[in-house]
Amino acid sequence: MVSERIQNLKDEMLKARRDISLERASIYTKSYRMTEGEPAIIRRAKATAQVLAEVEISIREGELLAGNRTVKPRSGIASPEMDPYWIYEELDTLHSRPQDKFYVSDEAKKLYREELYPYWRGHSLKDFINARLTKEVKEAQETHIVNLNQTDKGQGHIIMGYRDLLSLGLGNLVDRVRAKQEKEPENVFYQAALITLEATVKHILRYAELTKTLAEKEENPSRQRELLELSRVCSKVAVHKPDTFYEATQLFWFINLAAQYESNASSISPGRFDQYMVPFYQRDRENGVQEEFIKEVLRSLWLKMNDVVLLRSEDSAKYFAGFPTGYTIILGGLDERGHCAVNDLSYLILDTYQDIRLPQPNLGVRINEFTPRRFYNKVVETIRLGTGIPQVFNDEVIIPGFLNRSVSLEEARDYAVVGCVELSIPGKTYGLHDIALFNLLKVMEVTLAEKAGEFDDFAAVKAAIKENIRRYVAYMVEGCNIVETGHRDFAPIPFLSCFVDSCLEKGVDVSAGGAKFNFSGVQGIGTANLSDSLYVIKKLCYEDKRMTLSELLSSLKVNFEDEGGEALRARLIHKYAKYGNDISEVDDIGAEILAYYCKTVEGYTNERGGRFLPGSYTVSAHVPLGAAVGATADGRKAGEQLADGGLSPMVGRDEKGPTAVLKSVSRLDNYLTSNGSLLNVKFHPKALEGQAGINKMIGYLQAFMKLKIQHIQFNIISADTLRAAQREPEKYRNLVVRVAGYSAIFIELNKAIQDDIIARTEHVF
Amino acid sequence: MRALIFNIQRYSIHDGGGIRTIVFFKGCPLHCPWCANPESQSFESEIMKLKSQCIHCNVCAGNAAECPSGALAEQGKWMSVDEVLAEVLKDSVFFNTSGGGVTLSGGEVLSQADFAAELLRQLKELGIHTAIETSGFGRWEALEGLAEYADVILYDLKIMDPEQSKKTLGADSEIILKNLAKLVDKGCRVIPRVPLIPGFTMDEKNITTISDLAQRYGLKEIHLLPFHQYGSSKYESLGRDYALKDLAVPTDEEVNAIKSKLEARGFMVVIGGG
Repeated sequence: MVSERIQNLKDEMLKARRDISLERASIYTKSYRMTEGEPAIIRRAKATAQVLAEVEISIREGELLAGNRTVKPRSGIASPEMDPYWIYEELDTLHSRPQDKFYVSDEAKKLYREELYPYWRGHSLKDFINARLTKEVKEAQETHIVNLNQTDKGQGHIIMGYRDLLSLGLGNLVDRVRAKQEKEPENVFYQAALITLEATVKHILRYAELTKTLAEKEENPSRQRELLELSRVCSKVAVHKPDTFYEATQLFWFINLAAQYESNASSISPGRFDQYMVPFYQRDRENGVQEEFIKEVLRSLWLKMNDVVLLRSEDSAKYFAGFPTGYTIILGGLDERGHCAVNDLSYLILDTYQDIRLPQPNLGVRINEFTPRRFYNKVVETIRLGTGIPQVFNDEVIIPGFLNRSVSLEEARDYAVVGCVELSIPGKTYGLHDIALFNLLKVMEVTLAEKAGEFDDFAAVKAAIKENIRRYVAYMVEGCNIVETGHRDFAPIPFLSCFVDSCLEKGVDVSAGGAKFNFSGVQGIGTANLSDSLYVIKKLCYEDKRMTLSELLSSLKVNFEDEGGEALRARLIHKYAKYGNDISEVDDIGAEILAYYCKTVEGYTNERGGRFLPGSYTVSAHVPLGAAVGATADGRKAGEQLADGGLSPMVGRDEKGPTAVLKSVSRLDNYLTSNGSLLNVKFHPKALEGQAGINKMIGYLQAFMKLKIQHIQFNIISADTLRAAQREPEKYRNLVVRVAGYSAIFIELNKAIQDDIIARTEHVF
Repeated sequence: MRALIFNIQRYSIHDGGGIRTIVFFKGCPLHCPWCANPESQSFESEIMKLKSQCIHCNVCAGNAAECPSGALAEQGKWMSVDEVLAEVLKDSVFFNTSGGGVTLSGGEVLSQADFAAELLRQLKELGIHTAIETSGFGRWEALEGLAEYADVILYDLKIMDPEQSKKTLGADSEIILKNLAKLVDKGCRVIPRVPLIPGFTMDEKNITTISDLAQRYGLKEIHLLPFHQYGSSKYESLGRDYALKDLAVPTDEEVNAIKSKLEARGFMVVIGGG
């Protein structure tokens, strides 16, 4: 049941027009003007501190938790210090662009054009990075083989560690950092960290004041009591350790907000919330706190997570459509001794999510051989609601995958998920999990064109593709390392670093290698289309010899618009087996290339001495990455999207049902993609009807686990409903669907992505 | 030994428990007018043409193997036991986790009983749950051979009136009923499946006769299969007339009324099979 409080807050949030807020940018810029010549990390810390001190704060009607990033709900915060250009160019189109629209007032436009843009032009992170990118790296980007991310916004994709904070309190952390700073007064990281921590304490105290003032004016006595209680909680957690679930949640949220003010980044993910919060839940229950109150606190927190949306450029919004903010929480799994870690709070979180049904928190569950049947029931019951949440992760392959990356057994068992599906050891990792995408299909296209289809045999085709993978991976690595140094030298994150081991011990920011684990995660994309295309080439050109590869290429070049082209395209689609149908001869081709990509990637190290880790997920990038590839031998037309997800079969090509899909995916070496991979499967709601439907879905998930696939997520909404929502969006304001590793409000997605979701094969029985 | 198979369908969740793979045998001695799989009737392979898929390229010249779009497709493939086994075992992990298995259906599996019995025997040897779906219209020896290795027998009871059965289905109901009696006698787990076809099987008398029989035999579970029109386009694809193309599907109320009546007599009723 949703209370009136929650319903009202939710309605207000979704109703409001999304605005651009330049408040953070203005304060930040003002601070930068005053700190010329100081070390970058100090400038960042001072700017963050000034934002925390000056940003307008608010308590919305009926709120139980304090802390709004912006006064108006779901405002987009501009970060001109990262990339001033795209905003400048898109100021007049932000309100009308196809994806993630924002309103910009005339006043804001003027401020941006006249004050912010001129200050940052030539001095942003983007400039810093662009000046260092080599010709080869730029070319790799221009051919759309390599897509470097995080060149225009702050560094997220990190899970902060909360255990120490929650058990010792913020004051204790401030003391520890101050002691370090006094011991090493020259260490700028400690100085910067202390500045941000002290500013955070003061920021929280501002909320204590505000709530007290509001309480004094409040006429409704019960609301007045709530506000006074909230004021007490804020005052307490600004310094002292929290004792109740309510206090712990409030502190958790303030820390998240401060991290957002610091970097305005995607995916500062909460990790294993059910594990570090359960002691507070248990203590509350022992002390007689009503479960309903704890649920209301949780629902309030989930709403807060939907209030934070990210402002992206028009191009970036194509890749990450519908605000994947990345409040990714993972439930269940194993404890450090390898026992089942599902607890009462895991259930309660799913229950309260069922009440909210919004894109955030992006819930996931970890399953393994010990997962109890009752938990499966709750998971499938939630999946059945159709929002695509929770997504499911498989301990049985992910933990061994981490062991293969020299992570200890205990730490591997503690893994969590950051962003969409990226795998990370919480509180210990700076993983640059989403630093680049690598378009494997484009490599194939470029390779075939280079030799105009003149290869001795099929083995030569594969060898040439591998050679190019090796070449372009090197450029990608070079590019990633440049982006990494950009963040290190220009945009360190000392506040967030305080919550990542071993930054405080080392006295080093995460961006400079302070974390215990230092990965860079790069995604290989296009496995399905690659399998399908190469299988066609193998059969058609080298075994059946119906046509030569050069002849095939000439038809592809004109997008099948030559004579007989349409019949050829039909033949390529229908007469050759496709990935996703459990035919290992096809699946193994993609598996071989993807494994080659993984092995190539893992041979490289980054600037922090950590390893590059391969992954395979697309977010929504299969649409723009597909736009960059011409017609392919699998019958895909020029510019058509790639297979969605990362590991999913090409849309409409999986004809043998959802079990065959899992079998095909299991042919890939899923231990290697230790940065994370993604599989979308769509079911018609009828497949999950009744307990019998739930039981069969549980059987399906358990088979998924045994097949050692890392990830799966579901869309359980009929295509008819989605089409109806396209026709009458106003009636479907609340319809949440799965995009890729995250969920979004359907009507807020652009038509191309909506159509993609509708087209994904729906398994009906 | 080979059998003519027209489809092996994975992830079926309506024909026996759990996640199942169904092997459809081609050829059936009955000719039920409502048959949703008309390609299952003939004992020979045949060409189906899906008009909607044809791209009018004129490449095929009537040869299904050369049709690029898949509009022309041959129905029916002679397969060995090993071949069928290899295909159905692909989903064994799902059988294990969901309590599923393999169901042999048709057409009429009794018409290719030797092959089916061998397939079932090998499946049981691998510990896989098995079911058959049959009209019961065939030799007892053949059915007995299958019953030996089938954990569940989904047994169609369509039209109980002997004359109507003969006329409409082309089946001697006496054979069907005798076979049923023997299966029950043998202690097999039999689940009657009743297609609900307006104007053919849904009248009170027919349903009562079926439920009386089931009660007499101590059968606990009954599956109801409401008429649908999903198969109608297949008739067109085969170039055949479909007598029931205008017949309306039964309403939920009609189906639920029959369900309630059966439940009142103590049966566990599953709509669509489960």
